[in-house]
Amino acid sequence: MLSDDQVNEIIIDIENVPSGVQSHLSSNLNLAAKMLKNSSFSVVSSISDNDVTDSQIISHQNNKKAKQLLRFSASLNESFAQTLHCPEHVDIDTPCTSHENIQEQKLIASLIPMTSRERIKAIRNQPRTMEEKRNLRKMVDKEKSKQSHRILELNCCTQCLNSISLAYRRSKNCLSELLDSISLWQKTLKVIGGKFGTSVLSYFNFLRWLLKFNIFSFIVTFSFIIIPQFTVAERNTLQFTGLEFFTGAGYFHDTVMYYGFYTNSTIQHRNSGVFYNMQLAYLFTIAACLIICLFSLLFSMATYFRNNFINPHIYSRGITKLIFCWDFTITHERAVKLKQKNLSTEIKENLSEIRQENIKLTLNQQLTRLSVHLAAWVVSTGVAIACCVAVYYLAENNLEFLQSHRNPGAVLLLPFMVSCINLAVPRFYSVFKLVEHYDVPRQEVYVVLIRNIFLKISIIGILCYYWLNIVALAGEQCWETLIGQEIYRLLLMDFVFSLTDSFLGEFLRRIVGTHFITSLSLQEFDIARNVLELIYAQTLVWIGTFFCPLLPFIQMITLFIMFYVKNISLMMNFQPPSKAWRASQMMTFFIFLLFFPSFTGVLCTLAITIWRLKPSADCGPFRGLPFFIHSIYSWIDTLSKRPSYLWVVWIYQNLIGSVHFFFILTLIVLIITYLYWQITEGRKIMIRLLHEQIINEGKDKMFLIEKLTKLQDAEKRANPSSSTLERRDMEEPGPLHGWEHEAASDLRFRRSVQEGNSNA
Amino acid sequence: MGNKQTVFTHEQLEAYQDCTFFTRKEIMRLFYRYQDLAPQLVPLDYTSCPDVKVPYELIGSMPELKDNPFRQRIAQVFSEDGDGHMTLDNFLDMFSVMSEMAPRDLKAYYAFKIYDFNDDDYICMWDLEQTVTKLTRGELSAEEVTLVCEKVLDEADGDHDGRLSLEDFQNMILRAPDFLSTFHIRI
Repeated sequence: MLSDDQVNEIIIDIENVPSGVQSHLSSNLNLAAKMLKNSSFSVVSSISDNDVTDSQIISHQNNKKAKQLLRFSASLNESFAQTLHCPEHVDIDTPCTSHENIQEQKLIASLIPMTSRERIKAIRNQPRTMEEKRNLRKMVDKEKSKQSHRILELNCCTQCLNSISLAYRRSKNCLSELLDSISLWQKTLKVIGGKFGTSVLSYFNFLRWLLKFNIFSFIVTFSFIIIPQFTVAERNTLQFTGLEFFTGAGYFHDTVMYYGFYTNSTIQHRNSGVFYNMQLAYLFTIAACLIICLFSLLFSMATYFRNNFINPHIYSRGITKLIFCWDFTITHERAVKLKQKNLSTEIKENLSEIRQENIKLTLNQQLTRLSVHLAAWVVSTGVAIACCVAVYYLAENNLEFLQSHRNPGAVLLLPFMVSCINLAVPRFYSVFKLVEHYDVPRQEVYVVLIRNIFLKISIIGILCYYWLNIVALAGEQCWETLIGQEIYRLLLMDFVFSLTDSFLGEFLRRIVGTHFITSLSLQEFDIARNVLELIYAQTLVWIGTFFCPLLPFIQMITLFIMFYVKNISLMMNFQPPSKAWRASQMMTFFIFLLFFPSFTGVLCTLAITIWRLKPSADCGPFRGLPFFIHSIYSWIDTLSKRPSYLWVVWIYQNLIGSVHFFFILTLIVLIITYLYWQITEGRKIMIRLLHEQIINEGKDKMFLIEKLTKLQDAEKRANPSSSTLERRDMEEPGPLHGWEHEAASDLRFRRSVQEGNSNA
Repeated sequence: MGNKQTVFTHEQLEAYQDCTFFTRKEIMRLFYRYQDLAPQLVPLDYTSCPDVKVPYELIGSMPELKDNPFRQRIAQVFSEDGDGHMTLDNFLDMFSVMSEMAPRDLKAYYAFKIYDFNDDDYICMWDLEQTVTKLTRGELSAEEVTLVCEKVLDEADGDHDGRLSLEDFQNMILRAPDFLSTFHIRI
C-alpha cells in the first residue's frame, strides 16, 4: 500500500504549478491516489514493456498530436510556455478536443501581438501540417482585423509602419528570388552533393563564397578607381609580347593593372565641373572593400559559431551522431551503397574502440609516443623555417640574379620555388601520419592543419617582410608596381600548379590506383588541403589589391576556372569519403582561419604600408607625398578651411584621430566582453545542474515504479480473491497510465516553465 | 515575369509563401515537379483546391528520394494519413522542412518522428534496431546491432527510462552541429 506521506509528496510537489492548472491536476491526483490505494490497476506492466503496446494506450490521435505539439512548443519557444497544460480527464471516452482548442486559442493569442514578420516566422516554425498552418494564419488574421475594428483610433503611424514593413517584406522576397535565379552552379552543387555528400560540398560552397567576395571587390574597384583612370589614361608605348600573362611585366606595366599607372591629379570633368580626387578615391575604395569584407567575415563567423560551436566538455565522440546524422543529400545509388558500407565500417571501428578504451598505456609507451610527437613537431617546424629562409635568401638575391641573366622569364624563379614548396611540403607532412599515433582521430586532422597553416602563413609573412622592408626602401623606381607584379606572379604560378596537379597528378593517381596497384583504389578528396590553398590565394589577393587593383578580377577568373576543373577531376578521379568529416565544425574553423591569421595579417601589412612607407616619387596616385596617409591629412586641412564641412573635421580630430576615444571604446568593449563571458560561465553551470536534475527525475520515476510493483505484488499475494477484479480493471489501464505519463511530463514541463520564468 | 500563373489564386500563393520557407518561384517549381510525378492525376488548376493524392510509389521514385534508406518513413511522416500518399500540401511541407532554411528544432522534431518507426512518441530499442538495419544494410551482425543500440541509449537517454524522448533527441542534436547540413534534401 502506498503510504500516505508518499502520496502527499506527489501532491506537494505540484504546488508551484500556476494556479489555473493546479485545481485540475490536484483533483486528478486525488482521484489517482485513491486508485493507487486500491491498487487495482497495472500501470507497471504497461510501462515496463518498452514496446508497441505502449501505443495502444495513447489511442486517440488528437490527444497524441496535442501532447506532441505541447512537448515541442514547451521546449521550443518561451512564448509558447505560456500555454497552459490541460491534463486529460481520467475518463477516456470524452474526445479531448477541448484540450486542443484551448491550446490553439492560447497559441493564437500569443501570435496576435507579434509583428507580421515574427508572426510569419512563428507560423513557419510550427510543426503542423500545411492545412493547420493555413487555418492558424486565417484565424490570426481574422482576430487581428476584429481587434483593429474595435480600436477606433487606429494610429496613422502604425498603419504607415505596417505598410512599410509589408513593402519591405515583398521587396526582400523579390530580391531573394532574383538572387536565386542568378545563383551560380545550383544544379552542379546538387549533383556533387548527391554523389559525394555534404563534406565535399562544403569545399565547393566555400569556393563560391570566396568568389562572391572577389566579385564585390572587383565591382567596387572597377567603378571607383579603374573607370576614372580610363578617362585620363595615357598612351601605352610598350610592346606587347605573350609573356606578359605570366610575368605581369612588360606591356602590363603601363596599364590600369598596377598602382604606378594611376594619376595623382584631381580629375576634372570638362562640362560639369565635377572634381574627382584620385588619391582619396584610391584610399577610400580600398578601405571600403576591406571594411565590407571585414563585416561580412565577422557576420559569417558569428553565425557559424552560434550554430556549430559546442562546449568541448559536453562533446562526445559517440556513436549516436553516426546513427542519427545520415546524410540526406546523397542521392546517387552507388554513393548511397558506398556510404552505407563506410558507415558500417565506422560503426565497427567505433565499437572496437570502445572495447579498447580501457587499455591504459605503460609509462614507457607513453614516453615513446610523446617523444615521437615532439620529434615530428620539431621536424615540421624546422622544415617550415628552412623554407622561409630559403625563400628570403632567394628573394634577396633575385635582383642580382635577374641582372645577370637578362631573360624576361627569369622573374618567375621565385614564384616557382614558392609554389613548389607549397606543393611538396604538405605532402611531406602527411608522411608523419605513418609514425604518429593519436587517441582521437580529430586531433590528427587539427595537427595536420596547424602545421600546414604555419607553413603557408610564414611564407606569406616572410615575403611581406621582404617587400615592405627591402623592396620599398631600396630606392627602386616604382616599388609599388614591383610588389604588385610579384604578387600577380605568385598567384598565377599557384593557379598553374593547381591546374597541373588536377589534370596530371590526380589523373595519374587514378590510373595507378585502378590499373597498377589496385589495393590503393581511388583517392579521396582532401578537403583540408584544398581549402587551405583557397585561403592562401585569397590572402594574397587581399594584400595585392592595393598594389594591383585588377587583382580581384584575375582571382575571379581563376576561381571560376578552378570550380570547373575541380568538379571534373572530382567526378573522374575520386571516390566518396569513407570517414565522417565534421563539415560544420571544420567550416567554422576555416572561416575563423580566414579571419584571424589571414585577414588580420592583411590589415597589418596594409596599415604598415600606409602609415610608415614612403610612396615612390614619380609614379602612382601618391607620388611626392612623404607618407601615404598624408593625402588624408591634406584633405582634412583643405576641409577645415571650408565652413560647411567642419563637422567632418570635428569627427576626424576627436573620434578618429584621438587616442582617448579609442581608449575609452576599448575599455567599454572589454567590460562588455567580460560580462558576457561571466554570463556564459553561469549558464554552463546551469546546464550541468539541469542535466543532473533530468537524471534524478528518471531515477525518481524508476523508484516509484519499483515501489508500485512491490505494492501490487504484496496486494496480489494478500488478496488472491480479488484477482478477478484486477483483471477487469486491467482492461482499462489506459487513462491511468496516461495520467502517469502526463504527470511525468507535467513535472518536466513545470520545471521548464519555472526555469523559463526564472530566466525571464 | 510576374503574376501570370493560373495554377493558384493570389491568396493561395501568399498562404503557401507564408507557411513554407519557399519563395513564389520555388513553390511554382515544386508544383510542376509534383505534377510531373502523375500528370494524369494532378490537375493544372488548383484554384478550386482539388483533393488529389499522389500514391507513395510515385513519390518514392523521385530522384531525390529513391535511394534514401528512409524514404518510406519520410513519406509516411509527412502524408496525411500516415500511409505515404501525399497531397500537394504534404509535398510542399516535406520539402519545406527538409530545405536549408528550416530551423534546427523543426528539423529535429520531424527527424524524431521519422526515426520513431512505431509512432509511439519514443524512440525505443526496436526503433533503433530498425534505424541501424536500414543504415547498414545487413553489414552488421545481430549482436553488433544490439550493441550499437544499447550504446546509443546509454549515450543519449538522459532520464534513463530505456528509450529516447523528444527532449533527449533534441539534446543530442545540440551536440551534433552537422545535423542541420545533413538533414537537408535539395530540390
